[in-house]
Amino acid sequence: MLDVRELTKTYDGVAAVADLTFTVGEHEFVCIVGSSGCGKTTMLRCLSGLVEPTSGGVTLHGARVDGPPRDMAYVFQDYSRSLLPWMTVAANVSFPLPYKGLSKAEAAAATAEALDAVGLGDRGDAYPWQLSGGMQQRVAIARALAYQPRILLMDEPFASVDAQTRADLEDLLLRIWRRYRITILFVTHDIDEAVYLSQRVLVLHRPAHVHEVVEIDLPAERDQLSTKRLPGFGELRTRVLSSLRAPDPAGVNP
Amino acid sequence: MVTALEVAVRIGLLPQAWFPPPSRIVPAFVELAVGGELFAPVGQTLQGWVLGVLAATVVAVPLGVVIGSLPLAHRLTRFMLEFLRPIPPVALIPAAVLIFGSGLDMKVFLIAFGAFWPVLLQTVYGVHDVDPTARDAARCYGLGARAVLVRITVPSALPYLATGLRIASAIALILAVTSEIVVGVPGIGVRITDAQAAGGAEDVMYAWILAAGLLGWALNAVLHAVERRVLHWHPSYRGGSR
Repeated sequence: MLDVRELTKTYDGVAAVADLTFTVGEHEFVCIVGSSGCGKTTMLRCLSGLVEPTSGGVTLHGARVDGPPRDMAYVFQDYSRSLLPWMTVAANVSFPLPYKGLSKAEAAAATAEALDAVGLGDRGDAYPWQLSGGMQQRVAIARALAYQPRILLMDEPFASVDAQTRADLEDLLLRIWRRYRITILFVTHDIDEAVYLSQRVLVLHRPAHVHEVVEIDLPAERDQLSTKRLPGFGELRTRVLSSLRAPDPAGVNP
Repeated sequence: MVTALEVAVRIGLLPQAWFPPPSRIVPAFVELAVGGELFAPVGQTLQGWVLGVLAATVVAVPLGVVIGSLPLAHRLTRFMLEFLRPIPPVALIPAAVLIFGSGLDMKVFLIAFGAFWPVLLQTVYGVHDVDPTARDAARCYGLGARAVLVRITVPSALPYLATGLRIASAIALILAVTSEIVVGVPGIGVRITDAQAAGGAEDVMYAWILAAGLLGWALNAVLHAVERRVLHWHPSYRGGSR
């Protein structure tokens, strides 16, 4: 469904994304890992149509992405900045919906359902800054859900919450992924998280291009304790890590 | 402080001819208020303040939004603004009298000129300072340029605008009273000079000065209350409602 073909983005002659090619299928959960500064954020900005690629392109359901697509939602790493402090939780979730053509009643229903799905059904009247970090990120996920996307882009969404909250959010995301049958492209620098969540891990090297694809052949049902104890989990972890650290054969990296 | 002032005057530390003790100023003020004489001049000064601040805001806010959001507009206007801004508004009084006469129009022009700059600059800063993540988020969720302006840019610039308005408010009152004292436009300032010229009415003069001070205090209190309501979500106003 999401087709990235020879995507290149250069800033002042320096490539942030170089010849990046991959596809994400319908209902897939794909994680992208790469060291910090490898061009992940630039890549996401190209995928979401926020910036024009220098060359190559992105297609979603066969249509070229040249602006933010209507069936794509985005969850940012920095929830405290992507949520608007002057709006209540419910307003933060619902304000994009009229621009998508939903009526007032439809928007209210979608908002209520999305907040219920993330377990914040009773906090709609609160302001984001009255909630904990983990709850704020759940609001951001609810906003993405209410937008009823077919694909969800997530940019290190759990990087700034504590470990326990992070595990809870990961499991919440897996439940949502199954229940709503959406496609998720999840960027992280945490290898455990990538292996635990996804069906496929793309390892990115700098400037952003796919160095290796690691298929995650773990049982579909994941659990923080038992999945991470599987011998396969450790092996996959090691494979992703060594792939991250591997030198580039073509000598792209100095 | 009032007591200290009273004592200083009573023991002769300050000459009583120029500094009537508070015990004479306050009754003089009460007399102005009870007699109703207070209200017309205060109303005139307030009228100038309101019209001047309003005129400044109506022009400065849209201009600030344009300058703040378009780098080209910023470059084109920067030189002109940097040249105009340092002009002390009072230096324009003679020209303003020539152009507008010595009535309300002149007072409003002077106030509007002085109040314009803080409102404009704060709006420009506010628009500049919109969080890029908030703007990206809005764009990802399908908001067009105008929707981003209305839903994201303007609300995030509001705290800056509030600061600009408070600075403008203080400047506006100074310029209102200045134009009254220097040019004789009706208002509190005229009453201050009248009382001074009358001779032996120093207590009345100080009563009018007290009125000007109270007006400034009241205007600030009103702005503060409005700010608290509109910006209740801003970190500086958040109550302990966690």
